[in-house]
Amino acid sequence: MKVSPAPFLFRGGIHPPDSKTATAALPLKDLPLPARLEVSTSQHLGAPAAPCVAVGDRVTAGQLIAKASGFISANVHAPAAGTIAAIREAPTPTGRTATAIIIETDADAPAGEPPYKPIPDWREQAPRSLLDRVAEAGIVGMGGAGFPTHVKLSPPGDKPIDTLILNGAECEPFLNSDNRLLIERAEQVWEGCQIIRRILGAGTIRVAIEDNKREAAKALAAAMESAPDDAHIHLLKTLYPQGSEKQQIYSVTGRTVPMGGLPMDVGCVVENVATAYAVWDAVVNGRPLTARAITVTGDAVNTPTNWFAPVGTSFADLVAASGGARDNLAKLIAGGPMMGFALPSLEVAMSKTSSGLLLFPRECVRPYRSMACINCGRCVEACPLGLMPNELSQAAEADDIDEAENRHVMDCFECGACAYVCPARRPLVQHMRRAKAVITQRRRAAAQQKKT
Amino acid sequence: MTSYILLVLGAVLVNNFVLNRFLGICPFLGVSKKLETSLGMSGAVIFVMTCAAAVTWCVDHYLLKPYGLDYLQTIAFILVIAAFVQLVEMLLKRYVPPLYSALGIYLPLITTNCAVLGVAVMNVQNKSGFVESTVFACAAGCGFALALTIFTGLREKIERADPPRAFRGVAIALVTAGLLSLAFMGFNGLVK
Amino acid sequence: MITSILVVSGIGLVCGVALALGARYLSVEENPLIGTVTELLLGANCGACGYAGCGGYAQAIVAGEAPPNRCPSCTPEALAQISAALGIAPIEAAAREVALVLCRGDDEQAQKRFVYDGITACAAAAAVGGGDKACRYGCLGYGTCLRACPAGAIEMVNGVARVHPELCISCRKCVAACPRGIIRMVPAASHTHIFCSSRDPGATVRKVCKVGCIGCRICTRLAEGAITMDGTLAVVDYKQPLDNEELPAKCPGKCILKV
Repeated sequence: MKVSPAPFLFRGGIHPPDSKTATAALPLKDLPLPARLEVSTSQHLGAPAAPCVAVGDRVTAGQLIAKASGFISANVHAPAAGTIAAIREAPTPTGRTATAIIIETDADAPAGEPPYKPIPDWREQAPRSLLDRVAEAGIVGMGGAGFPTHVKLSPPGDKPIDTLILNGAECEPFLNSDNRLLIERAEQVWEGCQIIRRILGAGTIRVAIEDNKREAAKALAAAMESAPDDAHIHLLKTLYPQGSEKQQIYSVTGRTVPMGGLPMDVGCVVENVATAYAVWDAVVNGRPLTARAITVTGDAVNTPTNWFAPVGTSFADLVAASGGARDNLAKLIAGGPMMGFALPSLEVAMSKTSSGLLLFPRECVRPYRSMACINCGRCVEACPLGLMPNELSQAAEADDIDEAENRHVMDCFECGACAYVCPARRPLVQHMRRAKAVITQRRRAAAQQKKT
Repeated sequence: MTSYILLVLGAVLVNNFVLNRFLGICPFLGVSKKLETSLGMSGAVIFVMTCAAAVTWCVDHYLLKPYGLDYLQTIAFILVIAAFVQLVEMLLKRYVPPLYSALGIYLPLITTNCAVLGVAVMNVQNKSGFVESTVFACAAGCGFALALTIFTGLREKIERADPPRAFRGVAIALVTAGLLSLAFMGFNGLVK
Repeated sequence: MITSILVVSGIGLVCGVALALGARYLSVEENPLIGTVTELLLGANCGACGYAGCGGYAQAIVAGEAPPNRCPSCTPEALAQISAALGIAPIEAAAREVALVLCRGDDEQAQKRFVYDGITACAAAAAVGGGDKACRYGCLGYGTCLRACPAGAIEMVNGVARVHPELCISCRKCVAACPRGIIRMVPAASHTHIFCSSRDPGATVRKVCKVGCIGCRICTRLAEGAITMDGTLAVVDYKQPLDNEELPAKCPGKCILKV
């Protein structure tokens, strides 16, 4: 077991102030059970889950309340015992609306048995049964995108996986949820990681942690001592976006994921530490994914806190538990400041992918006017993919979507490095997002046309 | 061989037909809005120029010169080029429809273009031989293609830019053409 | 003198003969009707007929694959001329339809939930928390339809798009462009419309907009079948005559207008 600097470094990237000190040393706190939980059926990428309970039903903690509907989809479970009060459309933290199941929780309900049979002897079990458990437990990629983990862990046979990368980079400023999880629950994370490896049959484990989180690396190294292995912790240079899959694969292994390709094309699978923890919980304790670590911070919240909160908790409840918001609150962001989503109000519930909630005061939210591109090329320098955001955004702005597509706008994963450095303050990411949406829509229409 | 290389370089870069001699400005401004059309136009110009140079050389050498009718150059050339291009167009339409659909609409546009006539007249002035004439004409066509392609790229970018109101459209295109012409002056002295 | 005349005439004669022969033996047959019909169509290439541009439609008309009245922009005279050219009985023009934005919740009437300062495109605004307009069915007012309109018939009035029916060429581009799906084609002859698309219950509509349909059903009774309820939203059935002059005044939501 070794800790060493990562051998490679991807191109581009930026250094935003990491702003993590406010919550870096605060232990995870269990959130008191809120009276109401609003559990969305669309907390993952892909088809929303189909509700399988009715209004008025009583549910126990961990009971399946919405079934995965389709190949890329994930189960949803009740985070706590209670009664289904309503099933209705509700906003998600990503700015869309989806069916949500509202549960009036029952604080006095007995803890009861875990909904699934614990598998403490997972080392002796077939990988297939472990994979089924991951699917049952509704585990999704908790780093942000929410791709269903069981799909990611069943690569097609012609794509052998030789490396499992455990992603503990947490390169987004302000967030500390993964960091704290590593520090406090390193052993569980490590065991979860080993379970994932057993499912994949991958040879080596590489752990990627940014070098500004040495405490987390130390805790994990200690956990890994007891389980001797050929695993390796790589300390990544602190640089945004080290936490992004493709960049991290390059930093750790030197392999480049082809354009439009997936990590499995180069024999890698990247899993977030929070996902590994959820896998451990599902396999060893038989508990589905219904709670996660979330950092509530920013200058407009009274007591920044790292919570371990049930999925479906309203952001308003989280903020209230964190001492409330200050009067000068002007901007809300679900997730990190770089890739997170601005929220219209606190009346939105957290999901399996909510790693943070940021509250910024008026002073931090400078209004600005975006200007014409001056072709200075800083965005090109900053883009970790080597795209040309200047050209892409201008093409999108002029509605020349074909041009944007020719220049590979679909490869953009919206890290925001370009917009961060743009001296003309152009909303580059938004332009690209729009172009991508139009292209996706066109492709879908074309596919539909082919079908009929 | 060296003389041919110099001839080609001279026609493409130094004495570029569009940017230095200011011939063929009309298609240069007219079809430079999209790369596709400008490539089609470029192909048509190269083709017509080369053929026209060959035909006019023959007319000049076997008809006009022997009878001392050099003063009828212009009218004879226009006549021959126009008829020839029409004929080629018909042939293409009949036998090579894909090429016709690519170049077809541009052929009549440049039937009696000044650049095409210019290359024919210049060949006579320079007392070039047949091969020399055709090579020069082809190179001149390539020069036109180069200028047009560069200019189209610039115009596609200008299209997305936000120039002051008074400059929008043709005005900024002309300014750009002027700057491009200035840039090509940098090639002066490359040959000879 | 004589030589020059002879030479030039000779060249002319040879060229002329060559061209004549070329025209005789190399020409490709093409139905001249296609050209005539293309010229009679408006030439906007808007695609409302369902074909790739006016040329494609003209080809289909001449081939007898399509009736000539699919072009919404075609004047009756032009249609008559096309029928005459084709040698068929005159076809009656289809009733002209114009686009209509079913929302009048402008900046004064409708609430906003937050300040949006991103790019001015409705789809982009809708992607940020569902759009800044409090009503999730309302016109976002960032002009996507305006830019899609080839006829310049759409204007932004106080943050809401408005179609000028006299300029509309019925190409439906705005209908496809609107991310909210609140632009509808209506007969140009109808003048009374319900300017609301909200399917929210009345109480919600009241909260976010002063000119929204609250689902009270008063209009359905007054209109005698020409207005039907679709959930909590009143919808005009343009197949029925709607001539009750009192409607606009009687609508408590103030969303029925005669224009």
